[in-house]
Amino acid sequence: MSLVAEALVSQVAGKVPFIHVGNQVVSELGPIVQFVKAKGHSLSDGLDEVQKAEMKAYMELVNNMLLTAELYLQWCDEATVGEITHSRYGFPYPWPLNHILAYQKQWEVKRKMKAIGWGNKTLDQVLEDVDQCCQALSQRLGTQPYFFNKQPTELDALVFGHLFTILTTQLTNDELSEKVKNYSNLLAFCRRIEQNYFGENGKGRIPLRLA
Amino acid sequence: MAAPLELRCWGGGWGLPSVHSESLVVLAYAKFSGAPLKVSVIDNTWRGSRGDVPILTSEDNTVSQPAKILNFLRKQKYNADYQLSAKQGADTLAYIALLEEKLLPAVLHTFWVENDNYFTVTKPWFASRIPFPLSLILPGRMSKRALNRILITKGEPPFFHLKEVEAQIYRDAKECLNLLSNRLGTSQFFFGNMPTTLDAYVFGFLAPLYKVCFPKVQLQEHLKQLSNLCRFCDDILSCYFRLSFAGFSPAGQDTIDANLQKLTQLVNKESNLIEKMDDNLRQSPQLPPRKLPTLKLTKADEESNSFQPLSP
Repeated sequence: MSLVAEALVSQVAGKVPFIHVGNQVVSELGPIVQFVKAKGHSLSDGLDEVQKAEMKAYMELVNNMLLTAELYLQWCDEATVGEITHSRYGFPYPWPLNHILAYQKQWEVKRKMKAIGWGNKTLDQVLEDVDQCCQALSQRLGTQPYFFNKQPTELDALVFGHLFTILTTQLTNDELSEKVKNYSNLLAFCRRIEQNYFGENGKGRIPLRLA
Repeated sequence: MAAPLELRCWGGGWGLPSVHSESLVVLAYAKFSGAPLKVSVIDNTWRGSRGDVPILTSEDNTVSQPAKILNFLRKQKYNADYQLSAKQGADTLAYIALLEEKLLPAVLHTFWVENDNYFTVTKPWFASRIPFPLSLILPGRMSKRALNRILITKGEPPFFHLKEVEAQIYRDAKECLNLLSNRLGTSQFFFGNMPTTLDAYVFGFLAPLYKVCFPKVQLQEHLKQLSNLCRFCDDILSCYFRLSFAGFSPAGQDTIDANLQKLTQLVNKESNLIEKMDDNLRQSPQLPPRKLPTLKLTKADEESNSFQPLSP
């Protein structure tokens, strides 16, 4: 289902994707997947109960580690915040709203980090967590084309969305994307999905290039 | 031999060595990996801190948070996961993330936010183990921290009301319990016959929910319907915590005792397995009872017999 994957790829880490169908607007991955399933399309119908449990567990792992690490890097690493995030986040708004909204968002994210126990983590610890998560994903993927062998599922869409964002977003340092690049099967996975679903011969409209 | 390891954690009740999930995770892992822990329970004297519990202290190291403590124990060669494959290790991480995202908010809510439960069970229990006047302040602070965590992580739009958030987190928790039950199936532990890190985490989160007597029990009721998860908790309690039913291992257990304990556990496990095999055999589908050879089957009987399902 390229629709779900496209929705994810248009996501900048931390922002919510949404789809517009007729009069309805559905946002965030979980509800979008449910909505699409209610319309009769589902990627995970072919999985048995144990596999569905595994898929949900891995999706939570990605949300828990990758998404939180992306937020941390964007909003809690002072170098990145000063150089990139503040100006990018406040760009559409006039002064002083751009500063106020950016600081407010930063405060919100820091509060969330503290609530889940990431408040005292250093950048190195966060990168180590990302490495651990990528290692788990890489081991789970192995040499298969997709996580549940031949057919892509919601998990593949989610992992692609996050990894692609990490690999292609320019930040002050490249350590995050370097961590992902250490795992060649994850890189190959991203390239495969990009070519099959977003390439010139594919059905997508977005031109995407991986470094 | 490693330096003596001391763990400070919240105490036990209702048949559990500890009623605090994180402390229970560490205690269970220590049992599974054979790590000799000297456990000191937080009581109502002023000794020691109450924040960041459980805390493991070794010679010159202080480690808090279950994940870090388990990592530390592994580095000290107390590893319960040595026979897991790489993929099983990855699965462990994923399922722990599932527990923390989907089950933990509802467990926190059941203990600390649900008013009936908090005021009649949780607050008195913790307050009795904290010295005055901290006993007036700390439980309230822990409750607020739990509510905060739930609201910050789960209370984003489209939820604007606490009731909607509560409904969602309980839905998520029930789904998580169902997924765990499906994954466990009829095995004794999540990865075969030996308990691992994942078993310690699942036990740590489920056992307090299972055993503590609350007035408001919707999640507990759901858990009790999943008999394999209840059996899982009971097995671990009887195999690993039976020697110290009301509390936990006495301090300074020496190697011979530890080996004897491990041997006893192995024997118990074997006998449990044999019991289970026996149960399975008894419950396996019976052949349809044979009719007496003198009776002639009618046509209807013949048809219904031939469509007898072969498996449950």
